[in-house]
Amino acid sequence: MSSSSFGSINTALTALYAQRRGLDVTGQNIANVNTEGYSRQRVDMQSLTGSISPAMFAKTAGVGAGVGITDVQRMHDEFLEGRARNEHATAAYLTDQSATYKSIEDTFGEPADTALQAQLGDMWNAWNDVANNPQDKATRSTLLEQSATVAGGLNSAHTALAGQWQQNRTQVAAYVTDVNTTADTVAQLNDTIVRATSGGLPVNELEDRRDQAVMHLSELTGATASRRDNGVVDVIVGNSTLVSAFTTRKMELAGAVSMDTLATDPLTLRWADTKTPVAAGGTMGSMMDTMTAVIPHLSAALDAIAGKLITTVNTAHAAGFSADGSTGLNFFGGATAADITVAITDPDQVATSSGPATLDGMVATAMADVGTSTTGPDVDYRAMIGQLGVSAQASNQRGDIQATVTQQVDAARVATSGVNLDEEMTHMLTFQRGFEAASRVLTTVDSMLDQLINRTGLVGN
Amino acid sequence: MGVGRVTESNITSGVMSNLQRSLARGQKIQQQLSSGKLISRPSDSPTGTVASMQLRGESRATQQYSRNADDGLGWLGTLDSTLTSTSTLINEARDLAVQGLSSGSSTPGGNAAMADQVDQIKAGIIAYANTQYLNRPVFGGTTTGATAYDDNGTYLGDAGQTMRTVGANAKVRVDTTGPEAFGTGTTQLFQVLTDISANLRSGDSAALGDSLKNLDTASDLMKNAHSSIGARYNRVTQMKQSAQDRLLSVTEQLSDVEDIDLPKTIMDMQLQQTSYQAALAASAKVIQPSLIDFLR
Repeated sequence: MSSSSFGSINTALTALYAQRRGLDVTGQNIANVNTEGYSRQRVDMQSLTGSISPAMFAKTAGVGAGVGITDVQRMHDEFLEGRARNEHATAAYLTDQSATYKSIEDTFGEPADTALQAQLGDMWNAWNDVANNPQDKATRSTLLEQSATVAGGLNSAHTALAGQWQQNRTQVAAYVTDVNTTADTVAQLNDTIVRATSGGLPVNELEDRRDQAVMHLSELTGATASRRDNGVVDVIVGNSTLVSAFTTRKMELAGAVSMDTLATDPLTLRWADTKTPVAAGGTMGSMMDTMTAVIPHLSAALDAIAGKLITTVNTAHAAGFSADGSTGLNFFGGATAADITVAITDPDQVATSSGPATLDGMVATAMADVGTSTTGPDVDYRAMIGQLGVSAQASNQRGDIQATVTQQVDAARVATSGVNLDEEMTHMLTFQRGFEAASRVLTTVDSMLDQLINRTGLVGN
Repeated sequence: MGVGRVTESNITSGVMSNLQRSLARGQKIQQQLSSGKLISRPSDSPTGTVASMQLRGESRATQQYSRNADDGLGWLGTLDSTLTSTSTLINEARDLAVQGLSSGSSTPGGNAAMADQVDQIKAGIIAYANTQYLNRPVFGGTTTGATAYDDNGTYLGDAGQTMRTVGANAKVRVDTTGPEAFGTGTTQLFQVLTDISANLRSGDSAALGDSLKNLDTASDLMKNAHSSIGARYNRVTQMKQSAQDRLLSVTEQLSDVEDIDLPKTIMDMQLQQTSYQAALAASAKVIQPSLIDFLR
């Protein structure tokens, strides 16, 4: 039973290396305590055994040969990361929906004493005044002004919706570029990571960067990711791959460039190669929904209200007779919220009465009754605003709940991968003490050898 | 996650989101306080928004009903005072006719004077019949002309009716056409007066007696028209009153739906501010100490 006198020096040396490495990693963790997306790292130490294949003159003393660093591990939970991607995608979708509804609500500005509902009310009152005094030109002039205000209100509501649509389209086009660039980044990182891993180099920081890029894709498109054994990550949007190992597919936005051409030229977010639609979630999914469903539906409802107003008023107006004897004239021009105008410019051409040369005001009275009718355009408008309120409220509430869920998942994620300074301080102390102790071992062995070499066999000197 | 690790960023993001939530609540309360409204956008309360819009519409319509009623009262009032004055004149004419009947043909000169007087009365009543309200002859139906009767007492208007909307689905007629007030054919008031005048001049007692009966018929017709106007005047007054009452109750309902409960909102704000300050103080304490503080 014997062991090399210098074996212990080597053992102490491995300890010095290992503790130094531990301190390095602690330093890296502390340096990145506030870095977004950084996952804390931990050194995996393992004791080294001596030679375990016995030969005649090579036998182990049964004591290990020190310590080695087997790995610098990235503390990270792939399952939590996957859940976080899902929750972040949903949160991004709902946040954008809430913002969209908020700005649509701002567009209509209800309930208020000056918004479209009030303008309609003022117009019906003006018809009432005409009914009271059909002989008075001033009442008819007022009516024309009030009607022009209503037409203008409908026009500007339509313009505001179209403008919002336009903004969304511009934004999605920019996001498409963003997604394509980020997908390329993920593919490049996949490549770098595979090369580095095969070269035995640490890839922890690269993986952090890749996870961040994938999270960005999840928030934009609702993408999910799956990891292969060799360390590459595939990114999937809907059921199609966006990034497959080192290759990417491109998205493109095609179709209508304004809301008014949407009916003839549908807007699609599609894959550039197959031209099939992308089933996107996240912010872009929300914006596509906004452009293909939310805004067009509201715009159609507004058009229906304008159409009803135009038809109802025109039908009654055309059957009536005006002060200058004209009949069969349309009061409103156009057919939708976009193009509604007041066609009558001369107050004397406002039809007020049921026959020529009479001032019975029947037409004006009938018109005034439309305002309080249960089937009139006012009721439809109120229903539309009510519906808008319900949708907006629902998306706000879902957004609030989702924010909490996302926060909890993030907390769980950070609990695994986040840096805790107290913990790092403790590690720092541990490694420092380990280093000091290993140094002491080295000093002790050295003094033993000194004893052996310099002070042994000197009897009688 | 069970016990789990707690990290600095855990605490920071938790504190941040809690503070953010508290601030958002504060902003909402501040907005309610400064605007005085519970509902500033449809999503604040979809049903409240629809109710609010409905009530605003109703308030506008009710104000208009009140205005319509005022206009109707103008018409009916004009009719009422005109017919009152006309009745006085008819009574004078009747006195003259009775006087002519009793004196017989004894004093042709006196009868001619009475006939002149009757002619004057007729002209006076025609002037009353042409009374205008806002440039429209009130007895002319829906005529576009400026007069209801010509100087001979011929009706120039039409049979159209003028209606005023004084409530939801409540329309009241606010005019009376000439024929309805002054009669038609041989019992038309102006015709009767012409006859009386002619009969006084000719001294035809029998014919004068018939004319007197016709005058009574015409007078009765006018009294009927007059009482109908009075009834309608009452109805419009009542409708106006109920429109004003309705306006009050609509305004109250609107306030219930839309307006904030001031004491409650102020209390809410106080509570929110207290909790926000507590959260701030707690955050400042929580993040401060670290193991670093206790190591050499």
